[in-house]
Amino acid sequence: MLRYVIRRIIYLIPLFFGILIIVFVASRIAGNPVQLMTVQNPHITAEARQRLTEYYGLDKPLYHQFFIYLAELFQGDLGNSYALRGGIAVTTLIGDYAWLTFELQLAALFLSLLIAIPVGIISAKKQYSKLDVTVTTTSLLGTCIPVFYMGIIAIIIFAYFLGWFPAGGAHSILPERYPFGSYVLDELWHMALPTAVLTFATLAPVVLLVRSSMLEVLRQDYILAARASGLSERSVIYKHALRNALIPVVTYVGLYFGAMLAGAPVTETVFNWPGVGRLFVEATTKLDFPVIMGITVFITIMTLIANLITDIAYGYIDPRIRFE
Amino acid sequence: MLMAPKEILKIENLTTHFYTWAGVVKAVDGVSLEVKEGETLGLVGESGSGKSVTALSILRIVPRPGRIIDGKIIYKGENLLEKTESEMEKIRGKEIAYIFQDPATSLNPVFSVADQLIEVIRRHQNVTKEEALEKAIELFRLVEIADPEIKIWSYPHQLSGGMKQRMAIARALSCQPSLLLADEPTTNLDVTIQAQILELMKNLKKKLGMSMILITHDMGVVAGVADRISVMYAGRICESAGTKTIFYNPLHPYTRALLEAVPNIAMKREKLKIIPGAIPNLVSPPSGCRFHPRCDFAGPACVSAVPPLVEIEPEHYVACVRAKEFSGKLPSRS
Ligand SMILES: Nc1ncnc2c1ncn2[C@@H]1O[C@H](COP(=O)(O)OP(=O)(O)OP(=O)(O)O)[C@@H](O)[C@H]1O
Ligand SMILES: [Mg+2]
Repeated sequence: MLRYVIRRIIYLIPLFFGILIIVFVASRIAGNPVQLMTVQNPHITAEARQRLTEYYGLDKPLYHQFFIYLAELFQGDLGNSYALRGGIAVTTLIGDYAWLTFELQLAALFLSLLIAIPVGIISAKKQYSKLDVTVTTTSLLGTCIPVFYMGIIAIIIFAYFLGWFPAGGAHSILPERYPFGSYVLDELWHMALPTAVLTFATLAPVVLLVRSSMLEVLRQDYILAARASGLSERSVIYKHALRNALIPVVTYVGLYFGAMLAGAPVTETVFNWPGVGRLFVEATTKLDFPVIMGITVFITIMTLIANLITDIAYGYIDPRIRFE
Repeated sequence: MLMAPKEILKIENLTTHFYTWAGVVKAVDGVSLEVKEGETLGLVGESGSGKSVTALSILRIVPRPGRIIDGKIIYKGENLLEKTESEMEKIRGKEIAYIFQDPATSLNPVFSVADQLIEVIRRHQNVTKEEALEKAIELFRLVEIADPEIKIWSYPHQLSGGMKQRMAIARALSCQPSLLLADEPTTNLDVTIQAQILELMKNLKKKLGMSMILITHDMGVVAGVADRISVMYAGRICESAGTKTIFYNPLHPYTRALLEAVPNIAMKREKLKIIPGAIPNLVSPPSGCRFHPRCDFAGPACVSAVPPLVEIEPEHYVACVRAKEFSGKLPSRS
């Protein structure tokens, strides 16, 4: 198992550098940040521009810039932002934003699995019943509606008309408006709407996956054999069938986990949620190279960790992988 | 005078249909058979004749969209079709056990064999985990697995086909069932392993005093193991008799065709006869005798009415209107 994990890590190293190179080059092709910074200043001189370019090290050849970046990366230094919060260190910036992203995504993932697994199982158990048809139809609709659309509708209904939840942000501006004066409750209150929307968006495909995977497993001989041995329906479904049916679900969640940080920008932008995704959108519009690169490094490492967790979960569920 | 052994299982007019989109598949359509205490009944028939569905019906575990719609399954004097689901759970595995056709798929891939055995043992017997493990290892000795203490912790994918089937047999025997349903237990194994497993099952049956239904499409397999044979065709029994009678005095043309399809050393280089045609579509099966489209002796009576299973001579049941004509002589096929 350990050897398997190490092999996976070694395999991911070239991938990691590949991604860095691509994003590094692509962002630099996108434009000149010095130009962008100074465009609203009519008094700027060419000399001042040149000094700024030199200051950021953008005058050096691209490969040279990249090696400098790598050297700093290995010292744990992701550089300083060009445009945000007066040139704050990127590590600090990501640290501030990452927690809110995690909070939102993990809550949505946890809730959607909590709902999707039992719903998928019951739907499979009662294939073609009214309940099953309702669940399948709703899930299909859920997979078709884009997250941003769902988000806007939710804001219009629950924030604008009903006024139950705030329309965006992670906190009330004035501490007096915290529910019961609690900072934590205030955050949860702000989180409710984006979490609900993200949960629904995540939920739908997982329900369909659990259902189809369960149907497939229930057809297997070993399920019939478990029944033939007199095991209770509960053990047959929730022990013998579920353990097998979860294998593709683990794959899916693993992939989702990787994509979830990259996929967050839409939800975070709609709900004005100060997470990494929204930060990334902001950094891109400002050509804030260090922040773009920093978030790329962050997402890549997170994806790598997600992959590892998936592999370990796999090994736990499926002995055929554990003993490779 | 010796008392005739009484039957442990008696099936009357069992009817199990599958309600599919394409129509109602009449997989088992009025099957009657019996198993006497301590005997082995061979249930023989081509692929698709409804042998497995019959066996699954006995345990009432026919998968959807199948349903038992008629008949009686009398086990030790009680009709299993009148039992509740929780009463059935106590019968499955404990009274009547099942061995599946394909050992590769009948063990759950994600649990160790020990886990799977312990669960079944503890389901039916009031023992601790440790005691159950002891029993499981004992069972492994019984099915002649070397190093049972180590092998028991294997996962199915680590085992060979023959080994898996031994473990599946161990699971089936774990609660000393009175009746064993062995559904082609050797079909998916190598020939040499087949012989070993058959020998093992024969010995175990004797040792444990069980009754057994051995399902197969291979006449050669039942010849050495079964006391009596029921031949099944397209969801019905066409002939039931003692093994000797079936081999030396078969009366149903289908039974004879099956026997002619068995490779035989005495036949030397003579060509194997095969049964022309295929098993019929069970959504709209042929009228009357379901074998008539493939039968060399079919007449108008065979097309119009379903031939009942009648006792032509003591302990010899045949469902063929012309059976009496065939008695004693074997008209050869053209
Ligand atoms: N789940 C199902 N849905 C629809 N039809 C089914 C189902 N299971 C079995 N059948 C039908 O029932 C009939 C009998 O099948 P069964 O498995 O009992 O045959 P068998 O005699 O055991 O054959 P084999 O030697 O291949 O195992 C077949 O025609 C099959 O198509
Ligand atoms: Mg079968």
